[in-house]
Amino acid sequence: MATIQIRGLVKRFGPVTAVNGLSFDVSPGTVTGFLGPNGAGKTTTLRILLGLVTADAGTATIDGRPYRELPEPLHRAGAVLEAAGFHPGRTARAQLRVQALAADADASRIEDILDLVGLAGAADRRIGGFSLGMRQRLGLATALLADPEVLILDEPANGLDPEGVRWLRGLLRGFAAEGGTVLVSSHLLAEVAQTVDSVVIIDGGRLLAQGPVAELTAGRAGLEETFFQLTREASR
Amino acid sequence: MTELVFPIAAPRARRIRFTRLVRVELLKLTSVRLGYGLLAAVLVLTPAWTSIEASRAGKPNGPAPLFTASGQTSIIAGGAWALIFAIVLGVTISSGEFRHHTATNTYLAAPGRNRVLAAKAVAGAVGGAVFGLAAYAVTLVVGLSFTGAHGYRLVIGAGTLADWGIGHVVGAALLGAIGVVAGSLVRSQLAAIVGVFLWTLVIESLLGGLFESARPYLPYTAAAALAGLPLGAANFGPSGGVAGVAPLPFAAAVALLAAIALAGALAAARTTVRRDVT
Repeated sequence: MATIQIRGLVKRFGPVTAVNGLSFDVSPGTVTGFLGPNGAGKTTTLRILLGLVTADAGTATIDGRPYRELPEPLHRAGAVLEAAGFHPGRTARAQLRVQALAADADASRIEDILDLVGLAGAADRRIGGFSLGMRQRLGLATALLADPEVLILDEPANGLDPEGVRWLRGLLRGFAAEGGTVLVSSHLLAEVAQTVDSVVIIDGGRLLAQGPVAELTAGRAGLEETFFQLTREASR
Repeated sequence: MTELVFPIAAPRARRIRFTRLVRVELLKLTSVRLGYGLLAAVLVLTPAWTSIEASRAGKPNGPAPLFTASGQTSIIAGGAWALIFAIVLGVTISSGEFRHHTATNTYLAAPGRNRVLAAKAVAGAVGGAVFGLAAYAVTLVVGLSFTGAHGYRLVIGAGTLADWGIGHVVGAALLGAIGVVAGSLVRSQLAAIVGVFLWTLVIESLLGGLFESARPYLPYTAAAALAGLPLGAANFGPSGGVAGVAPLPFAAAVALLAAIALAGALAAARTTVRRDVT
């Protein structure tokens, strides 16, 4: 199964260094939370990992290869980076047809995936009329359609109702239990604490801590307290 | 230690075929209403324009009388709107990715961005060809109807009519591809579409009027000439009207438009297409 490896990653946008020498690994069979305050460099790191942004230095690989060099990349990694990233005039079912063709995925999975994400009843509605939570579910459907080994999700719980958050938790746990690799960025620390096996905490583009939740929070009140303590120390 | 069972399919170690990229772009195009709306606009504007030209034929400041070859040409080779809307279609295919923030999903599926641009250009060409064919079918029917209704004999040969049909399809296809490239370079859909109308309706007309010898080499004018329109007849501005220089031969016009599309694609590949998708 696929391992995510980030090594010495650097990305500058003009005078701003968004990612500054970041290194960490994500192992198969685990859900890893990618945490950091706003502007910490999480989204930039994920976009570099997915070949959307070019790093100034360092490497970001999935199973030892940059995303752009993966054959049939959607079969290796499914990603949800922005819930708004759909044409508003296309229906959910048509969106998945496009995705199935793009990924060379089995189109007969579309109905099952729509069922899985709870959008079967809205499959023929135009996405422009979807709520944020429905778009998140559709994003997850597109990510899962090609049966990937890796899931890379940026704030996937945004817009989901409590039932949706619980459903997402079960989905990610189930995916990892089958050997999949999950990297999920979030600022919902209480939710992350219930979902992930390990965390990567960054701030200012630098790694603050990485490891199993139990190890990092040992002797502290919990993940939230650990997070605030680490980010406070980093900002001094 | 418990052995994990991995039911997830093994990846296929092959490169994404270009034909699949084209099919994806065509599926995107046909799964939203915009393309159909543009085609509908072509199918409304084309016969309306042809009817106006036919009603003005033989009158002061109007086209030549309908019993002449020139008069019949003015209403039968009337696909100018298809050419303009083919460029607009191409613009929406590429700039729409940024307007609707769908570029992320597109490049996740196909990280080879230059190949995606090429696939979009092919899709734009296919869409443009459909516009050209539909517009020519309509203008041919309407033009022949007006000619027949007046009891005039058709003085344009079947071979010429066929050439104009091919010219409508090829010209609109090449402009569709050019539109994709333009949308990729400009990225702002609104700015690109406004630019298309300004260029075709105003700038080419002015440039053609100021520099008559350059007129055959202007892209929209060259495509219009492919479609059978006399040089300058497709210009709507004050310097419209038939010019005193000859249009480019068919092959030269095709080569010119293809070269413009290729040069634009190379420029886009070196600049906007390489940019970070943030």
